[in-house]
This record gives sequence, C-alpha cells and structure tokens, in this order.
Amino acid sequence: MEQQLVEPYSDVEVKGLVFNIQRFSVNDGPGVRTIVFLNGCPLRCKWCCNPESQELKPVVMFKAQNCVGCGNCTVVCPTGASDLNVPGKIDHSKCIACGKCVDVCYHKALEMSGKEMRVEDLMIELYKDRVVYRRSGGGITVSGGEALVQHEFLLELLKTCKSLGWHTAIETTGFASKEVLDKIVPWLDLVMMDIKHINPEIHKEFTGVDNKKILENAIYISGIANEMIVRVPVIPGFNADRTTIAGIAEFTSKYMHNIRELHLLPYHDLGSNKYGMLGKDYELTGVKAPETSTMEELKETVEKFGLQCKIGG
Amino acid sequence: MIAKGFTEPTERIKKLKAEVVNAVPEVEAYRAVLITEAYKESEGMPAVMRRAKACEKIFNNLPVVIRDNELIVGALSVAPRSTNLCPEFSYDWVEKEFKTMATRMCDPFVIPEDVADTLHEVFKYWKGKTTSELATSYMSQECLDCQAGGVFTVGNYYFGGIGHVCVDYGKVLKIGFKGVIAEAAAKMDELDRNDPEFLQKRNFYEAVIISYNAAINFAKRYSKKAAEMAATCNDPVRKAELIQISKNCDRVPENGATNFYEACQSFWFVQALVQIEANGHSISPGRFDQYMWPYLEADKEISKEFAQELIDCIFVLLNHVNKTRDDVSDQAFAGYAVFQNFGVGGQDRYGMDATNPVSYMCMDAAAHVKLPAPSFSVRIHNGTPDEFLLRACELARLGMGVPAMYNDEAIIPALCNRGLTLADARDYCIIGCVEPQCPHKTDGWHDAAFFNVAKVFDIAIHGGKNRDGKQLGPVTPPMPEWKSMDDVYKNLEIQMQYFVEKLVEADNAVDIAHKERAPLPFMSALVEDCLGRGKTVMEGGAIYNFTGPQAFGNVDTGDAIYAIQKHVFEDKDLTMAQIYEAMEHNFGAELGAGCYDGPFVRLSTDTADAAPACNSCEEKVDLTDDMESLINAIVKKVLAEKGASVDLSDGCADACQAACCGISDAKRAEYDRIRQILDATPCFGNDDDAPDMCARKATQIYSYEVEKYMNPRGGQYQAGCYPVSANVLFGKDVQALPDGRYSNAPLADGVSPRQGHDVKGPTAAGNSVAKLDQLNISNGTLYNQKFLPSAVAGDQGLMNFAAVVRNYFDKKGMHVQFNVIDKETLLDAQAHPENYKDLVVRVAGYSAHWTVLAKEVQDDIIARTEQSF
Repeated sequence: MEQQLVEPYSDVEVKGLVFNIQRFSVNDGPGVRTIVFLNGCPLRCKWCCNPESQELKPVVMFKAQNCVGCGNCTVVCPTGASDLNVPGKIDHSKCIACGKCVDVCYHKALEMSGKEMRVEDLMIELYKDRVVYRRSGGGITVSGGEALVQHEFLLELLKTCKSLGWHTAIETTGFASKEVLDKIVPWLDLVMMDIKHINPEIHKEFTGVDNKKILENAIYISGIANEMIVRVPVIPGFNADRTTIAGIAEFTSKYMHNIRELHLLPYHDLGSNKYGMLGKDYELTGVKAPETSTMEELKETVEKFGLQCKIGG
Repeated sequence: MIAKGFTEPTERIKKLKAEVVNAVPEVEAYRAVLITEAYKESEGMPAVMRRAKACEKIFNNLPVVIRDNELIVGALSVAPRSTNLCPEFSYDWVEKEFKTMATRMCDPFVIPEDVADTLHEVFKYWKGKTTSELATSYMSQECLDCQAGGVFTVGNYYFGGIGHVCVDYGKVLKIGFKGVIAEAAAKMDELDRNDPEFLQKRNFYEAVIISYNAAINFAKRYSKKAAEMAATCNDPVRKAELIQISKNCDRVPENGATNFYEACQSFWFVQALVQIEANGHSISPGRFDQYMWPYLEADKEISKEFAQELIDCIFVLLNHVNKTRDDVSDQAFAGYAVFQNFGVGGQDRYGMDATNPVSYMCMDAAAHVKLPAPSFSVRIHNGTPDEFLLRACELARLGMGVPAMYNDEAIIPALCNRGLTLADARDYCIIGCVEPQCPHKTDGWHDAAFFNVAKVFDIAIHGGKNRDGKQLGPVTPPMPEWKSMDDVYKNLEIQMQYFVEKLVEADNAVDIAHKERAPLPFMSALVEDCLGRGKTVMEGGAIYNFTGPQAFGNVDTGDAIYAIQKHVFEDKDLTMAQIYEAMEHNFGAELGAGCYDGPFVRLSTDTADAAPACNSCEEKVDLTDDMESLINAIVKKVLAEKGASVDLSDGCADACQAACCGISDAKRAEYDRIRQILDATPCFGNDDDAPDMCARKATQIYSYEVEKYMNPRGGQYQAGCYPVSANVLFGKDVQALPDGRYSNAPLADGVSPRQGHDVKGPTAAGNSVAKLDQLNISNGTLYNQKFLPSAVAGDQGLMNFAAVVRNYFDKKGMHVQFNVIDKETLLDAQAHPENYKDLVVRVAGYSAHWTVLAKEVQDDIIARTEQSF
C-alpha cells in the first residue's frame, strides 16, 4: 500500500484543472500563502493578466524568445495545429492540447498551461509549506480563472484544507449561482471579491458580462462569509476616476454587510506578453499603470465612506 | 509599527568610517623585519620559545598608531586597512607578486618599492624554514598530485597561520593579562620535575609569561603615546579624550576592566594582539554580547549613547584588520575578508534565552557602521523573543547581507554528536564564515580544505582519470560502463574514499608542520585547557579538537546523479553512452560557455538552424578569451607552486580544440539537444523529493567518509559545506556534468541550489536545502537567499521574512543569510563602481564591498536566483 501524506476528506474522486500553483505569495490574504489557480472563467476582462486560464481546458503557450525554429513540433502534431507560419506557432482552433509538441520542444519554447489533478495530487504540493503557513499565519488561497467554476473540485479541496486546520481564502469575481455560494462560502475563512464597476453597460463592455448578478452576490456573500474584503482593480479608462470608485465604495458601505476593508489594486500589464504567447491581441496595449498620486486620491475617496483602504492588496 | 528604524551614527563614527572606505591597502614590512630579527637571535631555542621571543620583539617594537577621532586604540598597521606579513608561514608568493599585487583582479595591495626591497632581504632568511615547506616535505607525491589536479586544496593553513578561534575575551576582561601570567606562573610552580613532559611544559609556561609581559607593554606604549599626544593637543575635547585613552591603556589589558569603556579597550587589545602574533584569519570575537553585558550592566556612569558609540568604534576598528593572500586564494576569499565573526543572541549554558541590551546595540552598530566587517551573526532558537528575530530581519532588510542567522535547534545537537557537552554546545559561537564551535575551548581547524565533490564525480565519470588523461584516482569503470544506479553510487564512493584519504594526509601534514614550527603561546594561553595541559593548541592543548574540510559541488553532483537516474533508468530517453559522448564534447559548445551568463550565445531566434554558432578556436568572443587566459594563469600558478611540470595551458587548448572543432553541425545539434534535455531535468532547490534525495546522498557520501578520520591533535574530522567564493574558481577544474552544466562553469554555492535553478520561491528552496543531512555537516553549512527589497517591505513583510527563517529552522537548517537587493542595482553597480563605493553585499559567509569583488564573483551574485513575488 502506498503511503499517503494527506488523507483526502472524502472518497469522491473529482479532478480539477489547475494552471498554476504559486508558493510564497504574500499579497493574497494574511501571511505566507500558496495560491491555487483554477482554470475557467465566465468573464472576459480586457485587462485579464491570466488569459491562458479563461477556457476550461489546457492550452499550449509559445515563448518566442526560446524558439530556434527547429520544427520538431510540426512533425509530431496530429491535427496540423502546430504551424511555424501562424502567430504564436499554434492554431488554437485546431489544437487538442495533446502535448506532443511540448514533449519534443527541447528549448522550452512551448509550454502546456493547465493540468488535470486530483485533490490528493494537489495536496502534496500544498502540504510542503504547511510549516510556513503556521509560522506566518498564512494558508491557502484559490484564484483563477474564476475558482467557483470548478466548484465540485473546489469544495473537496477546501474541505481537505480545513481538515488540516489551514486558513482558506478565495479571490473571486462573485459570478456564480447562489447554490454554489451556499456550498462553498462556509468553507472559506476569507472571501476577497472584486467589484469592478457599478454601471452595468460599462461593466459589460469591459468584462463581457452584466454586473447585476455580481452585485447581488456581493451583498449575499457579505451576509454569510466569515470575513470579506472588497477589491477593485483600478483600470485607467475604465474605473480609475473618483466618481466610479466612490460609487463602488458607497455600494460597499451602504448595501453590503460587515465590510471593513476595500483594497485598490492598481492596473499592471505584466500579463500582456501572455496574449502574444496565445496568438491573441492585447486590447489595452499602451495603457499605463495609474500614477501613485491618482491612487492616493482614490484611497482618500474610499476612506470617506468609512472603509479601510489599502493600495495593492 | 514593528519596524523601529535605525538612527544615524555620530559624526565621529562617520569620520572613522570614511578613513576605512577611502583607504588604499598597503603591505608593510615592520612585522616581517621584527620576526626575522627575533628568529636570527633565537637559533637553537625550542620552537615555542622562539615564538615567544618573536611576540616580545614585535609587541615591543611595532609602531604605535593613534588615529584621529579614535576612542579605542591599537593598530595592526601604520597605514589604514593595511597589512603586515608573516614570512614564517610562506613568502615566495609575495615575492612573485611584488610588481602585480597592486593591479591584480582580487583584493589588490600596494607594495611601495622600499617595502619590497626590505621584504626581499628579509625573505632570504626564511628559505627552507617555513611551515609551508615543512608541510610539503611531509606529503606524498599522490597527495600533491590531487592538489595540483584540483580535487582539493589545503591552501589556507598551508600558506598561513591557523586562526579560526574564539579566545577567552571574558577572562582577560576579568583578570587581565596579569592574571594570565599569574596562572602560568602558578602552573609552572606546580610542575613535577619527574613529569616526562616537564621540559615541554616549562618551556610553554615561560613562553606564555614572556609573551604576556610584552603584550602588557604593547598597551603601555599606547598609554605613553596618548599622553604625549594629549600634552601637545590644542583641542580641549580631544585632549581630554587622549588623557582618558592613556589612562585606559595603562590599566587594561594588564588588569581586569572596571567599567564598560575599559572592557571595550581591553577586548580590542586582545583582538589586535592575537592577529599580530600570527596571520591566521577568522579570529572571531564570538559571543560579544555575553561577555560584555556584565560590564555595561554594572557601569552606572556611562550614557547609553556613549556605550553605543564605543561599540560602533569597535565595528569600525574590525575593518582595519586586513590580510593578504596569493592571488588564487584571494579569488576564493574575495573582498579583503578576514572573517572576524561577531555574534549575538542565543541561549546560555543552561538553555535559557541569553539576549540582552548589548545584543540589540550590536545590531544598531552594524546599521550605523555599514562596513564589511565584522561577519555579524545572530543565534535563533525556539525561545528567541520575536522582537529579536524581527529586529534581525529589519537589519537584514537594509541589504548589507548581515546578520547571518544560525539555528540553535540544529547546531546544538550537531555539536553534541561531535562530543561536546550539552552546556558547551549551548554556548557555541560562530567562527569565520559559518563554523560553530564552543568558544575558547576549541581548536576547530575549520577551514581545513576546499574539497570539490563535483571534481570527484567528474573523475569517477572518467574511470579515475583527470582531464589531462592522467590516472589520478583508483581505476574504476568509466561512466559508459555503468549499468545501474548502484554502479553510479559505488564508483563515486570508491573515488571519494581515495580522495578523502589523500585530503586527510595533506591536512595532517600541515597540522604537524604547525605544531613543529609555529606553536603560538599568546593565543594558546587564552584557549582552555592549554594552561592546564602545559601545551599550545597546535600540540593538542584545546579541550575540543577538530579538522573541518569544507565541500562544495555536492549539489551539482546530486543533480548530475538525478539526471542519470531519470533519463537513463526511469524515462530511458537517453543512454549512458549518449550523455557521456555529449559531455566529452562539452555539449557542442566551446570551452568557457556558461561561465558568464549560463546559456551560451545562440544564433538569432529566427534561424532554422538549431545548432549554436561554431566559433573556431581562433575566433572566440572576448569573454571566452578572458576566461581562457585566466584559467591558464591559474593552472600555471597552481602547478608552479606544487612543483609539477605539466603545462596544462596546452591541455586546455587541446580540450577546446576537441570540444568545439572537428565535429559536424549535426553532431553539435545533437549534443545541444541532449544538454537541453538534461538541463530541463527537475533539480535540487524546488522541494521535489526525487532530486533532493540525490543531493542529500551525494553530500552524505562526502560527510560520512570525512568523519572516519582523526587528526594529530587527537580530534575528529567533520565535514562542512560552504564554498566561500571558491565555487567559481574551482568550477574551472570540472568538466561538463550530466546535469547539463558546461565544462568550467561555476558550481553551486554551498548548500544553495544551482544558480537560477530554484524557481519555486524561497520556501521551496529552503525546504530542499533543509533536506540535506545538515546535522552531520557539523563544520557548518551555508545557505544564501536573495530577496528583492519589495519582497520584505512593510511590517507584514518583516513578519513574513521572520516566518521564512522560522520555517527553515523548524526543518533543521543550520544557517541562512540574505542579500536583500535588486538585480538592477547590482548591474548598475557593476557598470558604475564609482557610484557604489559603499555598497556592501554578502558574498558567502561574509560581507564585502561590491567594488572590490572580481567581475566573475559579481556575476555569480547576480545570477543567484532572485526570490521575488
């Protein structure tokens, strides 16, 4: 019999699609944390810094700087998706993510993002930093994508983490059904939820979805969560103005329950290169991170509503 | 706020510091002239008496120097930050470098022409009389061949004094040198003439009495000088200071200290005199906070500010101590390092937390002075107050590389396993880089050798042959004949047994040479139980005796072994023969590839040709050219020193010829493909058990072999694992390895993962390092982590920083140190050294001014993985 580090919470065998596990994270909840990034997201935010996570399937990413043009990938590709002539070297409409090209890419120009894992597989990684969770008051944060998309897997993961006494947190868009929220939220010590804009049209234009369900859920979660923090990605040209931020802060303080903190996360373009790696265009090219002075102004705006405000999570 | 910030130093400290920063180190001839006179006068006397007469001559005649603004006095050289030589250990390398030492790559020293002439005359006396020559005569040809072949070097004690000691400062503070003399006299009085060792013991006690009388006079000369200076001083403030200095030096170290100021002055005289008696480095003040606090606690007169200024003065003074080594050794010890390790915190002998106000004041002093010395250490245990650890993290966050942090919970049991009592183990201090010992009871011989584990594996791969084709180790099957993982380990073990045996032969030869020619009475009287046993530490007078050779290249070896395990035996995507052939051709790259930036230069990414550019041997890029000439220079030097006649410069050219020319582009592409596969193998430093266990086993094969041996002082050998900066220099001796490392590229640094190969963040890297059997590596391990300032910003950053330390220590890591600095700053400092004269970085076990480091060492520091968010 193989010895197992951690007993899974239940016998239910669910598999999740995980595109990254990031250890030693310190800006995503208290203490030192490991973040589990889950695939799949119903939103299409223009500033998304994890575009490889949007679909609920693995995706091959291409790093141009490592490519020597050897063509090994085109030889092994069963569907003809691998093509040195298309941008990003992969025709994603044909790609079935079989990974054969990645195996023969000795220069590491091709990389598979998204890996199917069982909870026990994942726990082996999460378990490695258990001492530092305890020493720092940290734990596990699930993120995405939208972590609530894979709610069955998520539930098993959270139950297993709680069975070890770990602190659990989520970074979420809040775009999910009430049933899912009822099932998941009790297993979370901290919910960090984005509210991006109050105006439904602008919200839809920049994220692809209406904000009605998100705002309703924000109120609902605030009533049942152990602890909740509202987070606002501050995107120039979308919401980086006092009126918009004031609207979000007002909504938070007026309609949501027991919210103490609202964090402003300044826009960054660190994920923009991934669009090229996926053969996609980045729509926000040229948008600069907001000035420190702007962020300070917006912070003051938030604080007027009696909320504690932190810049950068 | 958790962070408390650090205050500005006083104007005096700023001025004293500027003198160090602006100093141009010189070589001086005073000590060499004096000891030569003394030796000429003492021909025929026993060795220990000759050393006492040397102390007498030097302590009574070395120039007295009191610098402006000093509150604590006692100079080792006339010019600031300069050095005197000890020709009695070795001298010929200085003679060879008279013209070049001022312009050499690492740690240049100016030798004025008249000094060179004087030294030339003095050196004539020493031909055939040095410890170095005696040691050489004791070594077998095989042993010398191993050193010439680059498997190990015992250069440290081969060419200089032993040092590596923490003497009994507390005893001097308490009873003074007069008390030491009284003790020696009493012991001599008790001697039984019928004791077969009577004469030896009597000689030792007489030597102690002579040395300490002269040492008292050394201080009296300072007292007199200060009084003279006071008499002619027009500045009333300085005049009063000089009068006080004169009083202090009149009283201590002859007598016990009566207040904190006297205790500081007395401490400094001991620190200076031990380093005037001989040039061994790592003369470590040890647990300064423990022996100094009683004097501050009892001192009702002194202000906190003045006490702080005195400690700051000591921190500056430690930077005036300087030593020169030959240019090869200086590449291994880059940065004018003399390793005076200075520690605070930890437990007392009975296991209670021993942190006191002086512990915190020393942290302030480190922040005030911001100079490379001392090597500043803190001890952390489970009962360490959080505020102490957080303050240490706050100091580390300043980016100076101090303090290094040590884990009581690992070191104490490791020392108990070597025979220390629990109380003595709890009282440990750190010596030199990272070596733990019980202070003033130990002759640790901690830097006994650099031992290159990767070189041993390289030789095992080639069936016992060195790269020049000579059979250096036992004949074993070469790598293409290995059929199983058992074969891999077995052949490594056979080679290891042979080379460790030769290492012991070399170390013991040097050990005996020191016993016969350089038994040091002054230092010995302050190490227990030399006075009780009536002999010097060199003759086995200390209670605990060790020899600690340190290894590096063990992580590279582990990664190389795992690459074989995975690709040949598990995945079966490569064969032993394929890997071997690719390595023999340096993976299709020319020699020198990977020595600077890791991957070699590729053709542009647009080309369809996967093969790297074939530069012919004549048309190498500049970097490679530099590298080549450097290697040749070093190899020639080592060979010349060891008396070997082979000219390896041709060998290197041949190897290069074979590696990069005369093979087809198709072969070259194939070798490169194999390297890419090997290089992509999971490796040590990412908290992945499979490769981590290979590194653990490779390290154990070394450490458990070493502990089988005994030294001539009756003590055990114990392994260490820290390279100082030798991992760069000694990497040049190692051919391509199965982990995809190119021939001659740097090796991993201590127990740290290979440069740039730990990609899962600081906790994963720390967990991997903690998986090594560190408790068996009781001569010390060295783990470097580098943080960007942003990673530890704010109070939350401090708490996370502390949690990372606690995590590593919970897992029985012994030592960790941090470079908190960003890569851009380092690159800019490399381009514009003139703007970074005060930039201090932690190299490996110690801190150094960035600007004095060789470019290669700078590159290595930059290449170490940045742990960021």
